[in-house]
Amino acid sequence: MDTVSNAPLIDIRNVVKHFGSVIALSGVSLTVNRGEVMCLLGDNGAGKSTLIKTLAGVHRPTSGEFLVDGHHITFTSPRDALDAGIATVYQDLAMIPLMSVTRNFFMGREPVKGVWPFRFVDFDHCDAVTREEMHRIGIDVRDPHQAVGTLSGGERQCVAIARAVYFGAKVLILDEPTSALGVAQTSMVLKYIHQVRQKGLGVIFITHNVRHAYAVGDRFTVLNRGKTLGTYKKSEIQIDALQNLMAGGKELQAVSAELGGMV
Amino acid sequence: MVEISQPTAPVGPADAVASPKPVQDERLREASLLTKAMRRPELGALAGLVLVTIFFLSTADSSMFTLAGMMNILTPASQLGILAVAAALLMIGGEFDLSIGSMVAFAGLIFGAFLLLTGWPLPLAIAATLVVAALLGGLNGQIVIRTRLPSFIVTLAFLFILRGLSLVGLKWASGGSTQMRGIGDQAGEGVVREIFSGNALEGLFAWLASHDVIAKFPNGTPTVTGVPVSIVWFILFALVATWILLRTRAGNWIFAAGGDANAARNSGVPVDRVKTGLFMLTACAAALVAILTVLDAGSTDARRGFQKEFEAIIAAVIGGCLLTGGYGSAIGAFFGAIIFGMVSIGLTYTRFDSDWFQVFLGAMLLLAVLFNNFIRRKVTGER
Amino acid sequence: MKSLITGLAAAAALTLAAVAPASAQQNSRIIVVSHGQANDPFWSVVKNGVTAAGQDMKVQVDYRAPETFDMVAMGQLIDAAVNQKPAGLIVSIPDASALGPAIQKAVSAGIPVVSMNSGSDVSKKLGALLHVGQDELDAGKAAGAKLKEMGGKVGLCVNHEVGNVSLDLRCKGFTEGFGGKVTVLPVSNDPADIRAKVKAALASDTSIDTVMALGASLAGEPTVAAVKEAGKGGAVRVASFDLSANFLKAVSAGEAAFAVDQQQYLQGYLPVAFLALNAKYGLIPGGNVPSGPNLITKEKAAQVVDLSAKGIR
Repeated sequence: MDTVSNAPLIDIRNVVKHFGSVIALSGVSLTVNRGEVMCLLGDNGAGKSTLIKTLAGVHRPTSGEFLVDGHHITFTSPRDALDAGIATVYQDLAMIPLMSVTRNFFMGREPVKGVWPFRFVDFDHCDAVTREEMHRIGIDVRDPHQAVGTLSGGERQCVAIARAVYFGAKVLILDEPTSALGVAQTSMVLKYIHQVRQKGLGVIFITHNVRHAYAVGDRFTVLNRGKTLGTYKKSEIQIDALQNLMAGGKELQAVSAELGGMV
Repeated sequence: MVEISQPTAPVGPADAVASPKPVQDERLREASLLTKAMRRPELGALAGLVLVTIFFLSTADSSMFTLAGMMNILTPASQLGILAVAAALLMIGGEFDLSIGSMVAFAGLIFGAFLLLTGWPLPLAIAATLVVAALLGGLNGQIVIRTRLPSFIVTLAFLFILRGLSLVGLKWASGGSTQMRGIGDQAGEGVVREIFSGNALEGLFAWLASHDVIAKFPNGTPTVTGVPVSIVWFILFALVATWILLRTRAGNWIFAAGGDANAARNSGVPVDRVKTGLFMLTACAAALVAILTVLDAGSTDARRGFQKEFEAIIAAVIGGCLLTGGYGSAIGAFFGAIIFGMVSIGLTYTRFDSDWFQVFLGAMLLLAVLFNNFIRRKVTGER
Repeated sequence: MKSLITGLAAAAALTLAAVAPASAQQNSRIIVVSHGQANDPFWSVVKNGVTAAGQDMKVQVDYRAPETFDMVAMGQLIDAAVNQKPAGLIVSIPDASALGPAIQKAVSAGIPVVSMNSGSDVSKKLGALLHVGQDELDAGKAAGAKLKEMGGKVGLCVNHEVGNVSLDLRCKGFTEGFGGKVTVLPVSNDPADIRAKVKAALASDTSIDTVMALGASLAGEPTVAAVKEAGKGGAVRVASFDLSANFLKAVSAGEAAFAVDQQQYLQGYLPVAFLALNAKYGLIPGGNVPSGPNLITKEKAAQVVDLSAKGIR
């Protein structure tokens, strides 16, 4: 199930990104394999969002190598990234609350039937697929026409992930999926990420919450001030050590002690 | 196998995939047909129409509800309605076009000029007018998209520009007058003329009159000689717009662009193209109304379409469109325009002093919108 | 939900109670459809005439107008009026081609139609029984004749909308009535522009002793000001069509010769009276009735100012 094939799905070597005189990334390296969840950890300001946008094709790296499935590649637009099978689920989810689950699921990729100029969307197919996908995730969609706004945050996150998976993603980049969710909803999302991994996709799970990362991750890369501080397998590192690496060590321990271990 | 330790709920192998859930979840309360019907955005408008009809049934002269009376109401309703349906689509797409009233006047000027000054035949003049309108609409759209200014402001500017150009243009074209006459004669007769002016189904109505099914004047001509062509265009346009909105890819894109343009873009929806297209549609709708009314009246003047942009938006809002975009319906705007037509003409069938008309118009519209809003919130579950 | 329904029911009941019973009293009902909004000072005088005639003749009268100058809407209002089968219909005709079909429909329906204010040239052709209004040509002639009588020899006619048929006719009539040499001065409808152009015209041709303006507040007042500024207060006579408070003051003060009152009150009153009598006894005058001109000179000005405050002139 989680056999690591020869070439990693994604291999980034020493990527640097400058915005004018601002150095956002100054040497990031990471790899993601099939059937693996790679957690990208870093506090705010570490360069996570710049890295995601570079992976997603929004920014072009100033220097460094970028390999997908063993091949060198450059993305000129988000479309290129999507075509290469890299799907990004941003924090705002790209879900529109007023529209139905079905319409959101197929947004931008609606299947059409019929002859021009009378082409219309095959909503029967869409409804059936949506229902099935929702069942697979475990979301009770009471009515395929119900608005996405009636779903909880966790459910919406799962729909967004399901959408990306359905449309053929090989690598999923999830930008802080659990950061705004409560406990039950977080567990729902993490459960689904596990399912996705079992399917054989590679997942880059970006977060600043170490516990969530530790719950579902296989390997962990810590990002600090635009640089990767190291990549560790789960067996190689404990949760507290990870946390220290992220936050920069001693001060956090002191605060944690004060708060009676609640941090 | 990777072990997952969860702080809270235990994880089984994704239990959702296990047994196929029954299609009907026992938690799914079979939504009553009424509730399902009421979820549709246009039901509020229909309810408003019923309210308004009841009001007039009790206060207006009974001739309002004869065949002639209904045609009398539907004619201005249809002229507004073509604008309202287009405005509704644009509003669902997240933008406003305040220039459509002025565009009616300007398109009337262009149309008259093509017929009278350059002497083009009717089909060519119609096509050329629509092209000019589409170009102007496209310009509106592009300015809105590229500058990211609110469409409210950009189109407001065009409201003044086009109104002014209509006045200047009319005076130049007619040698100093603010009216252009003689367009009807210049347009001539023929199939194209039949499609864009006059009445449809005249033969049917003449037959009905000769068999005394419908009323006649003392001199024998039927009181209603046919269905005014603008009503036919209105119904067709509303149907096509509804089909596009609810059944096609473009419709999904319109909802998406209005609901959240960013999310839509990230999903691959060509938001800019959709919005530009919608602006072109509203401009062409205004041009169509101009062509229809100019051919019927045989003339045009600088005040055509005055304030119609606001009426169109009100009709769309009565019809269930959210001002913030992403929600609404074309059929709703259809009913909204009928409400508008019924109220403005219907008041003249009552004995109320005309000084009170504007008060009544505003009050009725407010009531219709409040009622509609109330229904929508109740059934979409907003608290 | 309940409270909303109760509220709506209460509102509906109140409205119905306030409405006079729309009984089938159709025999003596007259509908007026004009292009002038009741909040326009000129047209509110017409409406007052309509209302007064309704009371005097004891008939029901309804005054209808579109909210703005909208020929399309006006045609639809005429259709609505026809559907209600009134005893008489009164219309103004600013655009014969746009309103023609609707008016002809009224005539086909057997409804007596009287036109007023505008459209005297097309009135008969469309089937109206008669027209009550001011014949612009005749009014111009009368004004011209009076100014000639007052000693004018060289005149200037200030036209602020060349191409507007009524205004063109006014100048034409003025020229005929005046007899002497008349130049038409085309200006825009901006009072400041009118003032400047009149002053310039007076300066370039010092033989001008008469200036005729075609609208009191728009052109008449600036013309009086221009004449004063040019220092020709006593030498040049100013007259204008229509009334305005300031122009009448100028007439009282001797700064202007007279104003031409088209007496729009009569344009409202007389058609209602004619149609009421026509409905009752079948009477109808044999031709058009000129409501004006009435030349308001210094002697009459005071009374007119008074009545204008009451909405009668």
